[in-house]
Amino acid sequence: MSARPLRDRALAWVGRLVDASARERILISVTALFASLLVGGGLVLVAGLMTTCSAGFVLGGDEYVLGPLVVTLPAVEFALAGVGNFCYNPLDVYYHLFVAPFLSCGGGGALLGCEVAWFNFALMLKETTLLLFTGLSVAVAFRAGLFNIGTQGQMVLGALATALVVLAVAPLFPGGLLGAALLVPVGLLAGTVAGGLYGALPGALKAYSDANEVITTIMLNFVASGVAFYLVNNFFQAEGAGSVATRNLPGHAQIRPVLPPFADSTFSLVALLLGLALVAGVYYLLFHTAFGYDLRTSGLQPAAAAYGGVDAERMIVTSMTISGALGGLAGAVYVMMVLGRWRTGLPALGFDGITVSILAGNNPLGVVLAAALFGTMKSGSISISFALGIPRQLVGVLRGLVILFVAMPEFFRMLGVRYDVGEPEHPGGDAGGGEPTEQASEGATATDGGRIDDGRSAGDPARAPDGPGGDRDGR
Amino acid sequence: MPEPAVRLDGITKRFPGVVANDQVDLHVAEGEVHALLGENGAGKTTLMNVLYGLYEPDEGTIALDGRARAFDSPRDAIDAGVGMIHQHFMLVDPMTVAENIVLGNEPRKWLGLTVDGAASREAVVDLSERYGLHVDPDAAVEDVSVGVQQRVEILKALYRGADVLVLDEPTAVLTPQEVEDLYGIFDELTSQGKTIIFITHKLGEAMHAADRITVLRDGRNVGTVDAADTTREELAELMVGREVILEVEKEPPDTGPVDLAVEGLRVTDERGIEQVRGVDLAVRRGEIVGIAGVDGNGQAELVEAITGLATPDAGTVTVGGRDATDLSRRARNELGMAYIPEDRQKRGLVMDYDLVENGLLGSQHDDAFAPGGRVDWARTREHVEGVLDDFDVRPRDPDAEARSLSGGNQQKFVVGRELARDPSVVVASHPTRGVDVGSIEFIHDELLALRAAGKAVLLVSSKLDEVQQLSDRLAVVYEGDIVATVDPSSVTEEELGLLMAGEVPDDIARADPVTGRDGDDTEGGPVDAGVTAEGDR
Repeated sequence: MSARPLRDRALAWVGRLVDASARERILISVTALFASLLVGGGLVLVAGLMTTCSAGFVLGGDEYVLGPLVVTLPAVEFALAGVGNFCYNPLDVYYHLFVAPFLSCGGGGALLGCEVAWFNFALMLKETTLLLFTGLSVAVAFRAGLFNIGTQGQMVLGALATALVVLAVAPLFPGGLLGAALLVPVGLLAGTVAGGLYGALPGALKAYSDANEVITTIMLNFVASGVAFYLVNNFFQAEGAGSVATRNLPGHAQIRPVLPPFADSTFSLVALLLGLALVAGVYYLLFHTAFGYDLRTSGLQPAAAAYGGVDAERMIVTSMTISGALGGLAGAVYVMMVLGRWRTGLPALGFDGITVSILAGNNPLGVVLAAALFGTMKSGSISISFALGIPRQLVGVLRGLVILFVAMPEFFRMLGVRYDVGEPEHPGGDAGGGEPTEQASEGATATDGGRIDDGRSAGDPARAPDGPGGDRDGR
Repeated sequence: MPEPAVRLDGITKRFPGVVANDQVDLHVAEGEVHALLGENGAGKTTLMNVLYGLYEPDEGTIALDGRARAFDSPRDAIDAGVGMIHQHFMLVDPMTVAENIVLGNEPRKWLGLTVDGAASREAVVDLSERYGLHVDPDAAVEDVSVGVQQRVEILKALYRGADVLVLDEPTAVLTPQEVEDLYGIFDELTSQGKTIIFITHKLGEAMHAADRITVLRDGRNVGTVDAADTTREELAELMVGREVILEVEKEPPDTGPVDLAVEGLRVTDERGIEQVRGVDLAVRRGEIVGIAGVDGNGQAELVEAITGLATPDAGTVTVGGRDATDLSRRARNELGMAYIPEDRQKRGLVMDYDLVENGLLGSQHDDAFAPGGRVDWARTREHVEGVLDDFDVRPRDPDAEARSLSGGNQQKFVVGRELARDPSVVVASHPTRGVDVGSIEFIHDELLALRAAGKAVLLVSSKLDEVQQLSDRLAVVYEGDIVATVDPSSVTEEELGLLMAGEVPDDIARADPVTGRDGDDTEGGPVDAGVTAEGDR
């Protein structure tokens, strides 16, 4: 086959991603994960080579007891004579990135004697929990065809509203368990409402004056942090605090770790369960209610949604409100579970939510897995900087690689769907098997090849069995 | 006998699960216009893509002027003198006509570093004069009409030295006048020794424009005939493989009160142009009112305003005696209005949804399918399976994605879904556009069944024979207004042509006027207007 223009090949490749089944997409993600580990491993080796250390890392040399057998692996030191030593062990790095968040094992690669690393695990769960909310927030908007970059701002304002409302009403409530049972929902509600309103704003701007939501939400992020900073700095600043921050919420208004092993951490099972309940709720809303059907239809094909009786303007505002509410809830949980007050400089959970959502294919259930991956790597990277002398920046690169490799196929797929690349007309979408390049590159013109089963639409059953599309009917 | 200009022998092309072309022979003589006729999916475009080097055939040979050829890519085919004009034009909109024509083979200057604009303009002017294809070389492609864009595509192929021109459904996007112009271009080109192959699924077109016609069915060549010696019936039978009744048989109408009325309707489109200018229209129960006209004379905007997708500037829409002007699309749906949209792939179906999900479109707030806002997917699936059975949608697979269906089956599904709502008013916009003969017959029968069941049907179509055969009264629109409402059984095609151009012949056979007011006045009982109309026939 002769050389085909690069653009056609790229389009064909995107087209294949668009046509990939769910199973293929999972397979692609797993493969991409391993590819990123290989590339990242190479980077770790090279980075180690460029650092100076007295000796390269050593693999092997451990004793393994397998029943009656004791196996000792030969020890190998990794170094390039005359060039330098490989200072960092990629296996160690990835062990800390992916295993240390869950288990802590007696040194040097021993398989036995592991126990749960509660501290790291709590860190992982905390991050996962928060990303559930922001990931869902972005996913809901995505499903409605809206790019909500403003989850961060909605979270900042949600967090502030939670802190201020709880501080204001706490004196009216009793303390203790009863107070917690009343104040925590009030705080969550305050964050949800504030985030929702702040999400509705760009929604209304888009619906009624056609302002691009990507631009407005990005700008509203700056507005949110600016306004919050101003309000706290001028009116709600806590005495003696080292930064711009509110007073601490009363203890009973915070979401406490309920499980004893997490007692010293800032992770609470209550928040995780709330997040998981929301995952189930959003899933049900999207796929089992008339409203969710309207929302998804608007996202996929606005013209068809209008045809089906969906009020486009209202749908834009409503879905942005829900998205903002979920972002605000993330802020509420952050204040009540992690900080215990509002403080300037909230972490970029809202932006991470975008990646989480893309990684999850904007599926609420996928958000759980994607958030867990993020949480694991977050906890793991802290563990790396504690345990290994590896620069934080390198760890950041490794995390970025994982996300890049795993998210890119999905990201291109979404672009492809949006711009209608792929093989829409081909029967069964099984173009991947035969001549995908030609099929996809000429997708616009290959209509006859694609409509082959139509020969039978004339409704003459006698003709069907010997038709060229005979296999198709048996499907 | 001289060697044919194009000789395809035993071409077989397989795709996973289907044989698109099965041992197809096609011989086209130099200087002839050859039509490749067949239903959607008969393998016409695949065969031409083989000739154009887009597909490599699994079996078979290609010879041009007696020389065997093997094409790896369109580049090779172009070098061998084959040019293809696709259904969707491949032009760069902001660039000028001349720039588009020379694109890829530009005359160069400054050691090949820049395009010689003057030389390319000159080459294009020469070419367009030689073949009588008049274009403005300096106009931007986005500013010229579709017919001119097609001419630019033809010139592009000629510029690249094409002797054999392949056109994929060239008339699909053209107005009747532009179609006539195109036939003139065919004559001019063939008189200068070019060979033309064009793909179509329209019988009349093949008979009118071609010298010989090859019919493909299910990927096989089922016959090549001389256009002069064949009949529509013979061609239809070859295409479909059985006898097709082209004439519609229908009972005289049994009309009731007016169920859909439009008065003084004015609609402005997105660009701020008033497209509908004071239309009055009424459709009674048990009749089909047709709207004929050249596309773009306000039909689309009229339909959108009636169905609730566009907001009129003035006028009223009455459905079942109730003022529906301010009702939302959803409310009109609930009033019993079904709408078969013009663009099934944009409006009527969500291409990424499977058929079950698509079956819910428009009924998602219906208590039967979503009691209390919760979708009953099992019930929806059952319903969709019924639609697939009743309307013979293939494949009969509710889990198939809408985009995987052929155009004809997509249309049947949309028609089936809309009619399964048990509507009282049906608005059908180009219900058979891009649909093959067999499905057209089926959809026509369904529309007549609606009429027999006493529904009010508004049928918009740019196919004259369709509106003429199906309608009981036929309104012709021109520039946003109805120029005349005529009796379709006694009006001639010539008279319709004049009306569509905005001219009203004096002795036109007008249909009895029916207004929405009649319907309002006589809401309780039978309408005498209906009786007069009946007596008139």
